[in-house]
Amino acid sequence: MSSQILRTKYGILLRPLVVIVIALAAWEFAARSGLWSPILFPPLAKIGHELWLFVSRPEGFAQSWTTLYRAFGGFAAAAVAGVLLGMLMGRSAFVAALLDPLFSGTYAVPKLALFPIFIFVFGLGSLSKIALIFLECLYPMTIITYHGARNVNRVLLWSASNMGASRLRTLLRVVLPATLPYIFAALRVALPVALIVAIITEMISSVDGLGYLVTYSLSSLKTDRMLALVVVISLLGLALDRALVALRNRLVYWEKLDTYYV
Amino acid sequence: MGVAASRLARAGLLIALLALWQLLSRGGHPDYILPPLDIARHFIAALGTRELYVDAAASLMRALPGFIIGTLAGILLGLGAGTRRGVDETLSPLVFLTYPVPKIVMLPLFMLWFGIGDVSKVLIIALACFYPAYINAYYGAKATPRILVWSARNMGASGAEIFRRVVLPGALPQIFAGMRVALALSFIVMFATEMINARSGLGHLIREAENSLRFDLMYVSLLTIAILGYAGDRLLRFSRRRFLPWEEGHA
Repeated sequence: MSSQILRTKYGILLRPLVVIVIALAAWEFAARSGLWSPILFPPLAKIGHELWLFVSRPEGFAQSWTTLYRAFGGFAAAAVAGVLLGMLMGRSAFVAALLDPLFSGTYAVPKLALFPIFIFVFGLGSLSKIALIFLECLYPMTIITYHGARNVNRVLLWSASNMGASRLRTLLRVVLPATLPYIFAALRVALPVALIVAIITEMISSVDGLGYLVTYSLSSLKTDRMLALVVVISLLGLALDRALVALRNRLVYWEKLDTYYV
Repeated sequence: MGVAASRLARAGLLIALLALWQLLSRGGHPDYILPPLDIARHFIAALGTRELYVDAAASLMRALPGFIIGTLAGILLGLGAGTRRGVDETLSPLVFLTYPVPKIVMLPLFMLWFGIGDVSKVLIIALACFYPAYINAYYGAKATPRILVWSARNMGASGAEIFRRVVLPGALPQIFAGMRVALALSFIVMFATEMINARSGLGHLIREAENSLRFDLMYVSLLTIAILGYAGDRLLRFSRRRFLPWEEGHA
């Protein structure tokens, strides 16, 4: 009987839900069993209480805003620069020959290693973090946009130039729409990266933001508060991703989204 | 442009940039920006010491096990989800739901459960590597053309044989793409965990150098991690070419 329910349309939603409920139940069991200290497994009710405290106070929003401001700042700058660079590389063999080895050569190098130097150059505040987020997001933005701009259907380009479209007009009316699905794929890769780097840099060196709050609550052994923050950060990441997908489906209405990577 | 000519142009650009940097720093530079020749000098000097190798080895001993555990689990489960509907429906929604969640926030939790030593670091690296490996293996297996599976079955191939001879070779390019993302991620997360909390490793070295204003050491650590990351990526691309001789040219 149960296997029949799981086969139905709702079953598709039901199964992951069952996994989540089992995981939460296991957590609560671990918390109440007394085998571990409540610091290691705080009961769900306490985490929920801390979560409520965080959401109900204006300070929680201020700290979330600090993190989001950094993530968005670097992300937006990287989105603009990456799309421009990627389009240039995709439409000009010269620029591609110049920049492609630069990007693919330094792709696997963790840009995070530059953070200490960025701190000296841009200071301890938000700017060094935004600069690092920009750099980390620039790679997926540029590479994926480049990939898309390079693969524009040639027939479309030929017909555009046949009909007397200028270079700029072709770029805006043919190449850009054709690359748009790739640009959104790039944005979708870069947005979590922006949030991750914002959190990491705040964990390494900061006096505010969600990443700082996580390390602070850990060092004061308030693990219930730390887990509430983990929930907040996870929900933020999820909500941003959903918002981006919704925006994509409005703008790129002619193509269904089914892949997560290009 | 010919291959040789474009290679020459690239090398020329790189040398010109370095020379410009060197020349600009002649007219005085802040302490924290070293000219390239100085960096090279410090790096060669550091290559003669034991400490650099100890730190590099400590870093690799965290990144590589994490990478191997995470990608192996990701590839196996991803292939399972790509070929078995039951696995797909149970696992994929969870993976795609938690994909945009920054995995690094789990580090403090892992430090509580598994101690502040290497275990928590390896596990968080594995967790970060799991996602790209899973997603790419999943789509690679899912994209197997049905006709190939049908013809294989028609010719009397068993389920295991179809998986080994049809699904797996078809999914390999995607799997390698996932491994490449995962390798870069493993280095980033390794560096992050070491900067947040460690007693050894390249991330620890750069933090120490920063705190004691040893800018030479900062650049040595930076250059080492850059070389390691680049070498790992090259190695992966090289093995890709060996395993997938029929797929040339795609990066």
